[in-house]
Amino acid sequence: MLDDIINHYNEAVFDTDKEAAFEVIDNALAEGYTPEDIIFKVVIPAINEMMAIITKDPDANLAQHFMTAQIASEVTEKMLLQFKSPPEIVGRVVIGTAVGDLHSLGKRIVSGCLKAMMVEIIDLGVNVAAERFVDEAIAHDAQVIAISAMMVHSATGENGCRKVRKLLNEQGLESRIKIAVGGAPFRFDPELYKTVGADAWAADGISAAKTIVDLIHEVNAK
Amino acid sequence: MTPIQILDATIRGLPAPRIPVFCNLLDQGARELGLTQQAYYAKGEHVAEGQLKMRSRYGYDNVWSLFYVGKEAELLGCNKIQFSESGAPNVADFVIKDYDDIAKLEVPDDITAHPAWEETAKCLTILREEAVGKYPICAYLTASTTLPSLLMGMDKWLELLLTGPNDVRDELVRKCSDFFQKQIAAYRAGGATVLIYSSPFGSPYFVDMKRFHNFSLPWMKRDLEAGGTANVIYYCGMAPFNKVIEDVIQNLAITTHYISPLADLAEAKNIIGSRGLTCGVIDDIKMINWTAEETRAEVKRLCETGKPGGRFLLGTGLMPSEIPEANITALINAAFEYGSYS
Repeated sequence: MLDDIINHYNEAVFDTDKEAAFEVIDNALAEGYTPEDIIFKVVIPAINEMMAIITKDPDANLAQHFMTAQIASEVTEKMLLQFKSPPEIVGRVVIGTAVGDLHSLGKRIVSGCLKAMMVEIIDLGVNVAAERFVDEAIAHDAQVIAISAMMVHSATGENGCRKVRKLLNEQGLESRIKIAVGGAPFRFDPELYKTVGADAWAADGISAAKTIVDLIHEVNAK
Repeated sequence: MTPIQILDATIRGLPAPRIPVFCNLLDQGARELGLTQQAYYAKGEHVAEGQLKMRSRYGYDNVWSLFYVGKEAELLGCNKIQFSESGAPNVADFVIKDYDDIAKLEVPDDITAHPAWEETAKCLTILREEAVGKYPICAYLTASTTLPSLLMGMDKWLELLLTGPNDVRDELVRKCSDFFQKQIAAYRAGGATVLIYSSPFGSPYFVDMKRFHNFSLPWMKRDLEAGGTANVIYYCGMAPFNKVIEDVIQNLAITTHYISPLADLAEAKNIIGSRGLTCGVIDDIKMINWTAEETRAEVKRLCETGKPGGRFLLGTGLMPSEIPEANITALINAAFEYGSYS
């Protein structure tokens, strides 16, 4: 039965049909599934399946990525209000677009998925200075700074990720705070993340959520 | 043969000494003239001079009338562009902040009378005087299904596109399509001879095939129905689109395709065949860190893939200002060498 729910939910998400996805969730709740079941047994497996599809099928499209995150985020917000006890948080991430960059789509996709995966998000918005990324990460005890950059100069410039790396290094924080990057320039040059001093990158917003969770686990394991 | 004759012969499948080589060194023009980006882009004569100097220095085949992509948003009311000394300008103030603004959005009756067009017109006039009969003059036009992302931001546009309300979505795209029709006519009248039709939402990388057929394709038809597709190049903003090339040829009659570096060039060439022009595009983000030898090797690979059978052009994508000059020289020289038919 749960398999049917997951399949129907996934079909709706992959068809970018938000209304149908919510109908599946509402029906599942009516059948007695708990809000916790919905998140941990439907939404998170759906995100994982989308990651698998993206890996196998490079033609998976941006609309699917966006709706996967959007629906997951909205369902999570709705379900969290009904949880019997607050869920255990996996970790914290400070996220924003690099200084000089005003594109917010990638950040929004990543944040939507992270929310469903029980990661606390501190969203700094767009055009974020390197100093602010670091200050906020320290203030919130975040394990990861996630930097989105859609333009070449914001991805590679001295005041973006490179400066965040420099600041972490100067303050001796490199083992406590990891850096993840994403955005179009990194897709065209998969080695670029190393050049700019990031610890990891992801080719799309959905996969980025897993990359960030992996980095959180890496920090927590130390 | 002049570059424009080489391009014309290549499109027609007639003999030419070499492939056409297109390049876009937009932001580099400011550096060449010793101006800030903001000062450079403020004057059409600066942009024209910068582009003519870039073409003259490296010897590629085309010149660009494009200032920056956000220029189209300015024609629709955007009044804030964020300039950077290290990269492309950004739209910093969205014209559409909520859905009510869509009803208020006005497409100018005559875009050539709009103050934001004035400098573009000056640029085109200078380019036409210098380049007519010698070099293709390129213009960049954003499709109606993509222009909303410049007016309201990509995430807000995706949200409206995917979740509606559909009547609001369609009102916005109709206005963008009206704007497109006026703009393509203005560019043609101004002397642009190659029109880059930028349509990322016409790529299966952005939308699924169902939405491509039911949404993107009908609007693209509308965009192009008045002005026709002569000298129009299909381009999806560096996103791959091999899967829809056949649809675009059949339904839009666009036969020149600017293939993403992330796509399979051989497959694209095979699909297009002798029906049109295949444009192979170098991954110029990698050129930032490549050596000149690596750049040459990639140009060689692209030419070997695309050149057999003719009807092949080599082009560039973003050409970030961080690319070393030596790599630009290597790119153009290698394109002439490996793109030679003699």
